[in-house]
Formats: sequence, structure tokens, C-alpha cells
Amino acid sequence: MYQPLLTSRYLTTRMIPLLAVAAVALCVALVIVVISVMTGFLNMVRSSGQTLMGDVVITYPIRGIPQYDTLIAAIEEHPEIVAATPVVDTWGLLRMPYPEGDAKESEQVQIWGIEPESFSAVTGFSDTLQWDNVPDNVSADVLQDVFDHRSEEVADTVVPLLDEQHRMALLRATYHEELEDDAMVRHLVSIASDRELAQRIGWFLRHGEEHSTVLGAGAIAAMQHLEPRLHDSEQLRRDGLTLTRNGRAAIVPGRHVSKANVRTSTGEYRVAAGGYWWLPRFEGTLTTLPIDSRGGMLEPESVVLPFANEFASGVYLIDQTRVMVPLDVVQRMTHLDEAELVDEDDLTTVVGTSPARATMVLVRGQDGIPATDLRDIVRAAYRSFEAQCDAENLPDSEQPPRLGRDPGLGILTWEEQNASFIGPVEKERELMRTLFSIVYLVCGALIVAIFWAIVYEKTRDIGILRSVGASRSGIVYIFLLYGLFVGVSGAIAGVCLGWLITTNMPTIHDAMSAPPLWLGVSLVSASGLLVIWRGLHWRGCKLLPLLLGILGAVVLGALGIGELMLRQSGGVVLWDPAVYYFTDIPSDVDWASAWITAAAAAVCSVIAAAIPAARAADIDPVGALRYE
Amino acid sequence: MSSPILEARDVYKTYQLGRVDVPVLKGCSMHVNHSEFLAILGSSGSGKSTLMHVLGGLDRTDSGRGDVLHKGSPITGLPERQLNRYRARTIGFVFQFYHLLPELTVLENAMLPGLVPGGIGRNNAKRRARSLLEQFGLSHRLDHRPRELSGGERQRTAIARALVNGPEVLLADEPTGNLDEHTGAEILDLLTEAHRNGLTIVMVTHDRKIADRADRAIRLVDGVLANESP
Repeated sequence: MYQPLLTSRYLTTRMIPLLAVAAVALCVALVIVVISVMTGFLNMVRSSGQTLMGDVVITYPIRGIPQYDTLIAAIEEHPEIVAATPVVDTWGLLRMPYPEGDAKESEQVQIWGIEPESFSAVTGFSDTLQWDNVPDNVSADVLQDVFDHRSEEVADTVVPLLDEQHRMALLRATYHEELEDDAMVRHLVSIASDRELAQRIGWFLRHGEEHSTVLGAGAIAAMQHLEPRLHDSEQLRRDGLTLTRNGRAAIVPGRHVSKANVRTSTGEYRVAAGGYWWLPRFEGTLTTLPIDSRGGMLEPESVVLPFANEFASGVYLIDQTRVMVPLDVVQRMTHLDEAELVDEDDLTTVVGTSPARATMVLVRGQDGIPATDLRDIVRAAYRSFEAQCDAENLPDSEQPPRLGRDPGLGILTWEEQNASFIGPVEKERELMRTLFSIVYLVCGALIVAIFWAIVYEKTRDIGILRSVGASRSGIVYIFLLYGLFVGVSGAIAGVCLGWLITTNMPTIHDAMSAPPLWLGVSLVSASGLLVIWRGLHWRGCKLLPLLLGILGAVVLGALGIGELMLRQSGGVVLWDPAVYYFTDIPSDVDWASAWITAAAAAVCSVIAAAIPAARAADIDPVGALRYE
Repeated sequence: MSSPILEARDVYKTYQLGRVDVPVLKGCSMHVNHSEFLAILGSSGSGKSTLMHVLGGLDRTDSGRGDVLHKGSPITGLPERQLNRYRARTIGFVFQFYHLLPELTVLENAMLPGLVPGGIGRNNAKRRARSLLEQFGLSHRLDHRPRELSGGERQRTAIARALVNGPEVLLADEPTGNLDEHTGAEILDLLTEAHRNGLTIVMVTHDRKIADRADRAIRLVDGVLANESP
């Protein structure tokens, strides 16, 4: 067997097979990176659907579905269903706490009135809460808020805990002039009211130091007790999950609703002004425009609610606009709450009641059941709900919309409901596939061309081998072996490269947005060294190394300078969450596709090698030998 | 006169140069005797190399026009597989331009014919190639690449390669054509030595002086045999 010997020599003594291996590797890596990112992207779309809305959505906008509790009970009877939850969906304005002063900014928001407990059972809401603890740089501000907004409570609960020593220290620390005389201080303490002392504590917290020596551990513990979020590590999360703060109904907005949550170029988030604008410290004013049953506009409804927490679903569009509010609050604001119906002529005569309504019911099915099957189950449940309402002889005003007869009523899977959201993503994927299939063709042609050149170069060798008795199939075998090796090693290298790039996608992205200085400097210096080295050795140098040296220096220098310029201009953000829906880049390798791609690359290399190999076999040995 | 080991009978060979048919051999008949050192003389373009290729089974005659016989049996109609074997076992080729494989070492080049199907096998080939190369004074060059050798050394390697399978006939096409006189003489000494050991040699040359080293010389003129001196 002479073929392995020749194949290995052809591979190891030339540069050209390295080019071929590099071409295969780059092609494979390219495919793996693109497929992995696209697959990750679609998976994110799919899983975000469940995270945000469950599997199936019943919608009846504006007017809402009455008797929704009965409907939910009918749906939850089915064993395939895990849970269902009512939602009132409307649009409104949220007046934000920033900036300082009276002229606050307002954000247009999508208001979701939810029942937190069942909502968490249907969606992944509980996993999306942003804040587990009060951030360290915010806790002082949170403590001060207690004095700014609840000074009476402080006067009642904290001030009595201060003994005379602490009161004197507090007066000394906060008095407008130096106090030397102890008797004087004692006198001032004796005439100070609890209210005044409370104000002094607030002032001291803002400006003073060494809080515990002045106030004493007991007072500080009591103050923290006034703000449970500071000492109970579960409180903030509990607030978010129940949509309450200090027993009041509260708002949980998406992470990007507040402009104070700043996304840094590295993809992390920080709160503006050193944490001052940490949203759960503040209150916001929510305003909606309710519509009456005839579609007319009613008086705007406004309500002031504290912020309890924030959520980050990872879907930028949602995190930017949606705010979660307790269901009953939103029902009142949209006039979808339970109300008495009065006679039009005599407003004191009650003619009936209008039940509370929900504009959406979200349904979560068991894992593993296709969403379309779940949708059919929900449809069946809705039919039985209609029959139930018929049997109860409800008045017209309490009857739910009818499936099939009322076009506004929709029972859709998450994907159907959000076709306008998923559609562009799928179109993008198709576009990428089409574009990249052209790239694959180019790569394939490149490999054929490289192999063709290799065979051409070896024409004489083929003649020699034929003259010593090698058969045509034996010649073919050399080049097939060659193609197989190039394909397999290129594929393996490509998988490694693809894996490296894909898993380091966030790092690469960060480097692009904040290009490191060392990279540019080292590229430029490498270019400079190359120029110096070439300059010292240019005499008697052949043209090719000279050209390669110049090209290398130019490329390195251009890369380095480009990088430095990019750095100067602040880098580029490749993955803008506002464009790509999601805040993170998918960075998991789709291994199934990766191995299929690698195997396909190896097979394609053998096929690409077969074409010039067949040509090699057909070479007339005499003609090949005459070639010199 | 013993029976010929190789014989060409009225052989025609035409090449196509673009659309033009160029007849090279026009009814050439000749024979090669056992253990003979035969020189084929001719000017360039006379068809001497082509005759050698046809004799060595590297090229086929025009279909139906002439026969090449090895020990009385025709090789012209042999299936490809047997023709490959014939080239491997019966014939050894030596070329003007050495035609060594640049990627292989001297030893690997010399043992190459032993590795093809019908060859003597890797171990035998290695042993025999080594002994031939040592015999030819190349023992210090076994692991060198052809480009590191002088012309004479390259041609000696090529002769070792031609002999590694122990062929019956050595076909040498201008073996000294690319060498200076002194080195060429060394190569001719080597061939003469091989002939003395019983090898049949057919050597193509255009040089009368070189042809004088042979037992017998024939002359090709314009694709046919001019005269065959005894």
C-alpha cells in the first residue's frame, strides 16, 4: 500500500492542504455559530412565550369576559391543564418618580392586571423578578425614605428607644452650633419633642457618621424594622410576588420601563445616580382611559401606587412596556369591575349587576403536550362554560361572548397570538439560511478548486506512479484519502472553533463594545516590528516574502488602528436588545446540528476530492511524464 | 538466436495534437532478445520514446494496428489490471528527467514499485531498495529528498527504483541525456554492470557514442525501423 505514505507526505510537506483544512474549518465554524445562535434565538422566543403567557390565551379585548372564575374552573377541570389565570390588559401612562421636581416624566405602558398567585402558576413570573435584596448602595437611601415619609411613625416607635445619652449625642451631632456644656445639652434634650428628635434622626442619617454610636443599636434595629425590606431578605421578593408594598397594592414594572435602569456596554445593568433612582423606593401614578360599553371615552382614571419590584423577562419589547398591577386595581381603572346597573331614566333604581371581567385568560398545560392540543382542550372547556352560563339563565349583561359567533373572542396558542412577533424572527432565520447556503456553495467551490490545484501540481507524480504499475483506482484512492483527511481534520477544527466562538459570544460582544487597549497596541506594535524586521532583511530578499511581509504589516496595522479607532469612538454594540427582542445573545452550541455539519463537511470534502481524483485517474501517464 | 523477450510487430501509434492526427510510429517492427543490451537510436521526434512506452505497456498501440508481445504472448489486448501488473513486475522504467517523487526520500522512492499491487511487498522492497542503493553508492543518502541530490545521484536512485521489483526488462529513455559526460559515463557503467548480471536493457538515445556501449543498436527514422545491425 503506497497510498497512505503518499497521502501523508502530500499533506505534511505542502502549505496547500493547510489552506484546504482552514477553508473547511472556517466553513464548519461559520455554520455552527450561525445555527447555534439562530436556534438559541428561536428557543428563546419559544420559551419566552411560556414564561410570559403560558401555553394558550383566551382573549376578548376592551369589554372582557364575565364569569371568568367559572371559566377558569371549567378549564382547570381538565387534567392536561396545570393552571389558568385572569388578566386585564390595557394601555396607559405611568408617571415616573424622575427627575427631581414637579415636571416628572411619563412612560406609555401596557398595564397587566394580574392575580399574582395564579399568574405565577401559569407563567414564569416568579423567576423574572429583578430584585432579591435591597442593593448595598441603596439601603441608606431606603432608610432615609422612612424618615421622609413616615416621621410620625419614627417619633412613636424609634424615639422612645433612645436613652438620655443617645439623645444628647444626637443633639450634639445635629445642633447648629458646638455644644460644650453638658447641662445645656441636658436641658435642650428635656424640652425637645419626640417629633423634633425624629426629624433630627432623619437629618443625622443624611449628614452624620457613626450612626450606631450616636443612636445605639436598639434604635437602629427599630428603624430597620420600620422598613422590613432591609432586614428580611425575602421581603422584596414577596412584595414582587404579591404586588404589594407595606400592605398597599403596588406596581411591578419591566426592567426597561424605568430609564434609570441603565444597560452598560457590557450588557450589565446599573441604577442611575449611584442607585438613587432605584425604583422600589418610589411611587408612580398610573393613568388609564376607560371606555364604556358603547365604546365612548370616560373620565381618565388615575391611581398612585408604590413600586414593589421590577421584572426582567429577557424579552426587550415586554420589559420595556409592561407593568404588572393587581387585577382588582386595573379592573376598577378600566371599569371592568363588578358594578350595579341602573335605570337610565331613574339613576337610583338598580336594574342588575355587571360582573367583574377579564380581557384575557392565560392557560398553562402539562409539559410535553403540544400547544395546539392544549388549545383544543381549552376550546372544549369554553364550550362547556357557555353551556353552563346558558343553564344558569343569566341576563344578557352577564353572558360571556360566544365562540364562533363573536369575532372578538380568540382562543389561540402563544405562537398564534404573537405571530407578528415570531414572524419576523422566522423570516430572519430563513433569510440567514438562504444567504448562508450561498456561502456554503462558495466554500465547496473553494475546496474543489484547492483539490484541483493539488491534483494539477501532482500530474507528473501520477504519471510516475502509473509507470511503476499503480492502477487508476489506486490513484483515486490517494486523493480520496487526502480529501477524507482534510475533511475530517477541518471538521474537527471547525467544531472546536465554532464551539469557542459560540460559547465566547458574550465575551466577543463585550470586547466589540469596549475594545481592550492591549489588543490594539499589540497589533500595532506587531505590525511595527514586522516592518522593522523586514527593513533589516530586505536586501537580497525574494519578492514573495517581501510582499507577504508588507501585507502582513499592513493588515496587522490596519486591524490595530481600526481597533483603536473603534475604542476611541466607544465601540460598537452588535447585539442591541431593542432590535433583537432579547437582552442576551444565545451562546449554547447546538451540538446535534454541529455534528451533522461536521459529518457533512467531511463527506463533502471527499466528494469534492473525488472530482479532481477522477481527473487524476484519467490522466494519460505518457502525457503526464512528458510534462516537465 | 534465442526467442525474443519483447517483440513489436507492425506497430502504429498516432497522437492527436488538437484536431490534427500526428502519426508517430508507422508500422514499426523490432524485437528484444533475452539478456540483450539494445540501443534504439533516433533523432528527436523519430518515435523512439513512444516505441519504448508501447513496449513497456505504458501506452497502447492504435487499436488493431500492430502487436506488442512479451515472451510470445500479446500485451496489447490485456485488461488494464494485468497491464498494471506487467508494468510492475516485468518492466522497469528509467527516464531522462529521473521522475522521482519530490515528497519521498531516496529510500521511499526506490521502494515505491514494491508497494503497488503485484510488487514484492513493503519489507522485501525496503530490503532490496536499501541494498541496491548501497550498491549504487547512495547509502549516505537514504533519508534525503531528491532535491538535495545531484543529477547523477538522482538517476542512480531512479535506476534502483526501476530494479526493485526485479524486472525482466529495463527500459531506459535517454538515461544520460540530462547529465554531464562524466556522470553519464558512470550511469552507463551502472547499466552495463546490471546487464552483465543478466538483465535485459533497452536504451533509447540519440547519441551514437552512447549506443556503442550496447550489444546491438537499431535506428528509428520517422516511425519505422531504418536498419538493424547485427
